[in-house]
Amino acid sequence: MITAFIDGPLWYFSLAVFLIGVSWRMFAIFRSGSKPDFSVPRRSVAVSAVMTSLRRFVPRHEMSPRIRLHVVAGYMFHLGLFALLLFAAPHVLFLQENLLGFGWTPMPYWAFILASQIAFTGLLILWLHRLLNPVTRLISDADDHVAAVLTFVVMLTGCLALMEAFTGLRVLHRFSVELLMIYFPFSRLMHAFTFIPSRAYTGALFGRRGVDA
Amino acid sequence: MNNNKRTGAESHSLLFSLSVLLLALMLALPFAPQARAGGTEPAAKVVNPGAELWREVRQREAPQAGATQVAGMDSGVLINVGGEQWRQFRMEQLIPAAGALIGGVLGLVVLFHLIKRGVPLEHGRSGNYFLRFKEIDRILHWFVATVFIFLALTGLILLTGRVVLIPVFGHEVFSVIASASKEGHNLFGPLFLVGLIGLLIRFVSKNFPAKGDLGWFLKAGGFVGGKHPSAGFFNAGEKMWFWLVIFVGLTISTTGLILEFPFFGQDRPMMELSLVLHGVGAVLLITGLFGHIYVGTAGMEASLESMTTGYVDVNWARQHHDQWAEACDAEGAVISGEELAKKQRLRGTKNRVPDRPAAEEGR
Repeated sequence: MITAFIDGPLWYFSLAVFLIGVSWRMFAIFRSGSKPDFSVPRRSVAVSAVMTSLRRFVPRHEMSPRIRLHVVAGYMFHLGLFALLLFAAPHVLFLQENLLGFGWTPMPYWAFILASQIAFTGLLILWLHRLLNPVTRLISDADDHVAAVLTFVVMLTGCLALMEAFTGLRVLHRFSVELLMIYFPFSRLMHAFTFIPSRAYTGALFGRRGVDA
Repeated sequence: MNNNKRTGAESHSLLFSLSVLLLALMLALPFAPQARAGGTEPAAKVVNPGAELWREVRQREAPQAGATQVAGMDSGVLINVGGEQWRQFRMEQLIPAAGALIGGVLGLVVLFHLIKRGVPLEHGRSGNYFLRFKEIDRILHWFVATVFIFLALTGLILLTGRVVLIPVFGHEVFSVIASASKEGHNLFGPLFLVGLIGLLIRFVSKNFPAKGDLGWFLKAGGFVGGKHPSAGFFNAGEKMWFWLVIFVGLTISTTGLILEFPFFGQDRPMMELSLVLHGVGAVLLITGLFGHIYVGTAGMEASLESMTTGYVDVNWARQHHDQWAEACDAEGAVISGEELAKKQRLRGTKNRVPDRPAAEEGR
């Protein structure tokens, strides 16, 4: 009964909350707009937006030594997570059968293990950095910790269910994913969708004034 | 009419009794074959027609491995004789010994704390601090600690679950827990090795034997003789723990890799030996970890701060690591409590406007 609930109604509910919530948040951001700027643009707004979006993938030279660990761990976690999310064989099959109707070549088993180890290492380091660094500890609140714990649990239950031999483990993973999807639109996890518009907006705004952002 | 009533009550009673009996029979029926088998009357013995053959194979004088065209390690061995001995060793010696050692050490630590109540700061807090561990060191420490605790829990489930968990949860639930533990253990194992190499790189220079270490051991870290023995950045006990973690950790990691990737020609005896070394090493580290956690928390006042904030009270340093404290004093590395509070943005400072210089405030 619990399995049927998690595989059925709760899945559709969490999917609806995720899609509507994310859409609403993005709509609200874009609708807020910006003040009209009548000055003569110093640079191309579009080029500045694109350049800043790309430039922010690399830390500023002045900041590099101080945030090296943060950057490396950040890339480890995010790249590992996206590899797992999009190329893990069970995920590709799930997306093909339940959402998209088509699939793609999944990662081999060894790549899955490697990606998850890289992602776990990155996530643990980032979380420890958040807890142990006085500045990140100060600016962190419950939302950050809930998001980190949920993401960790989702990854862990997914890896524990890797053999797909037990329904209970698969359902546990799915349940944790559903909790994450429900939590997602209300949390800073939204940065997965907002980071590019945010960079582009900043780049466009400063580019128009002739300032490197 | 009374007779009729009694007859009705009796029939109801009979019906109830029959129902209970039927229920009891239904419940007892599944256990009947086992009950018969375990009863005093011996069940009819069915002789395995191949028993003689297999006994001959197992007990023959000739080499165990025969010739076969099947390619693969041990593919020519019909019966692995050592496997049964190894299974017996695992079930009858390794698991009980591991349980006794872990339980015993845990009990000793608790008993020790109840008697000694930990080591207090002799002169209280000074309110001044030394930086003991940088952020990278603390992140590394907690990374290894987190991974090791996860590995210890999943490993203990795999080692002792058959004895400890099956009687509690039953076979089906245990099979789920064991499968999850195995996946998790194999996944996090290599991370422990990575963390271990990090620990080695970061801390090796401070853990070489030095003058005074022998004296520290002779005084058992201050328990013999009353006076706290002199020590540098790490005392001899901490150095011993470091090298134990490194050597036993590397042994566990190597044997773990041998077990996790059985594609490089490992034969059965090597796998069995690896599993024994892996288990014994892990139990050794787990028991050591109890002491490490105790000394780092309740066993020694103000110790934990070194791994949370990175700073230790000057009096703590002078009491436990006097040589290092002298060196810090000589360098002028002491910082005041106010400075530390600013650095650490201690509780209560959140959302507060940054302090202005006094001159600016006067305007």
